Amino acid sequence: MTLSRPTWVSLILAVIALAAVSAAVTYGQTALPWWDSVRSAVGIPTNSPADFIVGQLRAPRTYTATLVGALLAGSGALLQSVARNPLASPDLLGVTQGAAAAAVAAIWAFGTTSSLALAPAAVTGALLTSALIVGVGWSRGIQPLRLIVAGIGIGFVAASITTYLLTAIPERLVPQAYLWTIGSTNARVWDHVAIAAGAIAATVPVALWLERRLRVLEMGDDLAAGLGVRPVRLRLAAIALGALAAGLAAALTGPIGFVALVAPAIARRLVRTEGIVLVPSIIAGAALTATADLFAREIFAPTQVPIGLFTAAIGAPYLLYLLRRARGWNS
Amino acid sequence: MHRLTLAALAAVALALIAIAASLAVGAQDIPVRDVWEAFFAYDASNPSHQIVRELRVDRTVIGIAAGAALAVAGALTQSLTRNPLADPGLLGLNAGAALAIVLGTVVGGVASLAPQIVLAFVGAAAAGLVAYGVGATGAGAAAPARLVLAGAAVTALLTAVTAAIVVAQPFALNQLRFWLAGSLTGRTGIPVGPLAVSVAIAIALGLLAVRPLSAIALGDHAAAALGTRAGLTRVHVLATVIVLAGLATALAGPIAFVGLAVPHLVRALVGPRIGWLLVLSIPLGAAVVLLGDVAGRIVARPGEISVGVTTALFGGILLAVLARRMWTVTP
Repeated sequence: MTLSRPTWVSLILAVIALAAVSAAVTYGQTALPWWDSVRSAVGIPTNSPADFIVGQLRAPRTYTATLVGALLAGSGALLQSVARNPLASPDLLGVTQGAAAAAVAAIWAFGTTSSLALAPAAVTGALLTSALIVGVGWSRGIQPLRLIVAGIGIGFVAASITTYLLTAIPERLVPQAYLWTIGSTNARVWDHVAIAAGAIAATVPVALWLERRLRVLEMGDDLAAGLGVRPVRLRLAAIALGALAAGLAAALTGPIGFVALVAPAIARRLVRTEGIVLVPSIIAGAALTATADLFAREIFAPTQVPIGLFTAAIGAPYLLYLLRRARGWNS
Repeated sequence: MHRLTLAALAAVALALIAIAASLAVGAQDIPVRDVWEAFFAYDASNPSHQIVRELRVDRTVIGIAAGAALAVAGALTQSLTRNPLADPGLLGLNAGAALAIVLGTVVGGVASLAPQIVLAFVGAAAAGLVAYGVGATGAGAAAPARLVLAGAAVTALLTAVTAAIVVAQPFALNQLRFWLAGSLTGRTGIPVGPLAVSVAIAIALGLLAVRPLSAIALGDHAAAALGTRAGLTRVHVLATVIVLAGLATALAGPIAFVGLAVPHLVRALVGPRIGWLLVLSIPLGAAVVLLGDVAGRIVARPGEISVGVTTALFGGILLAVLARRMWTVTP
């Protein structure tokens, strides 16, 4: 039996993701019997300390991080296909900052920092911001650089709203609210995992349905129209779904940067294609955040570092490398 | 009257109005007449006079110095890179200076201002050189989007590190969150006078680059033919920009977009004359920051919105509009 390249790339990435998740649930500051950790991580009671340490602390956190990485990567894959540019991602386009600004606004208005209560706000913020970016960046079709630079501008507007709200909210809420500027997987519970899993279950099938049509669209608008794809509608649908996924991700962990940029690029490079490869991208995103979260948790243990620091440390140099290498700027 | 003289007079008049507003408007409005008397007929028992002399003068001087510094730095950067989207804030200089100061304060325990300013220079220089090196050299050096994206990458990384540090230090967070928002009142007890004089000296050094920059505007070959030493000019201008951005950040925190917006305003008045561009950036930069600060005092009365927030609001929108104008789709 021969497997297609995307399939075996996906399988290898899945093995890496699984290894990272296993390491994250079994390794930690408290040494536990390996078998107890594994059983607790899948919800089997062991009547040992692992029930709490793994079952309530490590596992929900790791699973949330992994699923959020998958959401972000899916969002990035969709947006990069629509913009036909490897730089398009919800964080560069300002969608993530829009979600964070809306979440912090909700903290300011309702005085709660429970990320479950803030989820609707974050999703609304992401969708509104993406509508704004499309409004500014779209005139007679999409021009990638215009979309991206307009997105950076709108992202700055959203970030400045967040900054203002952070000076206006009560002092006791500040440390929690400040995490919305960087992204954190600290203290996630099973509710987060449930929402993340629901988000994946709701968005991935639609994304897969869109992916087939986006592949056609990548061959050119005229050809796609001839094959029965409506380019404008399809692009708007893909942007909306990408923004929704990024908003859901931001609602669960705050804005974890660069995953949406890097994961699809890793997937495309491994599959050796220029076009959208949704499944490998999603799995690459999961592997990336699972690993980054393990590092964030353990590298300076017992002090925890926000996961967004690690993804930025990987992603920003990659973006610089991409800029250094790219040709054809004067468009 | 000559058009350029008229423009200069208008800019200076606007700056004077902004200064008067900055002295008079606030949580406690003070009639302009009382402001006048506070300087020329000081009555120590009059609380209005005390407010003007003890609070608002420092604040206004900081606004003038930071605004002029940022605007001139922006004009210099745009002229040197021949990139209308260049801005010290967008390039990550302010974020670099902010991170260096946060690192020094939180990790190194640096409390006094002089070493903090040195740190600000180091941080601004490191961030600026990375963004400039990636975004404005080599093939495609003049592509506007590339420099913006390189700056966005550097800014994202530096902001993530800054956020990670301050989140881990709740006490420092409460002290720094106002300054990190970009504020003319975030720091108390700093020697405003010497800092303002330093800004003036740095601006004067920047003005010495008018002639070589005008030659560079004609292109590298023409500049060489005119006897301009491009390498020397680059070092001179970049060093001046770093000093100006570092001083502005030390005074008022990271304020973005003044350096982007003001040169565009000035060019609308005087056209592509670099000498006039730099000179008129001084009063208009001061006016924009002061008016942004005054607007922040009026809108959120009796509280305040930091000037960094108001400028980013307008500047982000400006960037989006510029992006829309620069990349038009050719059908």
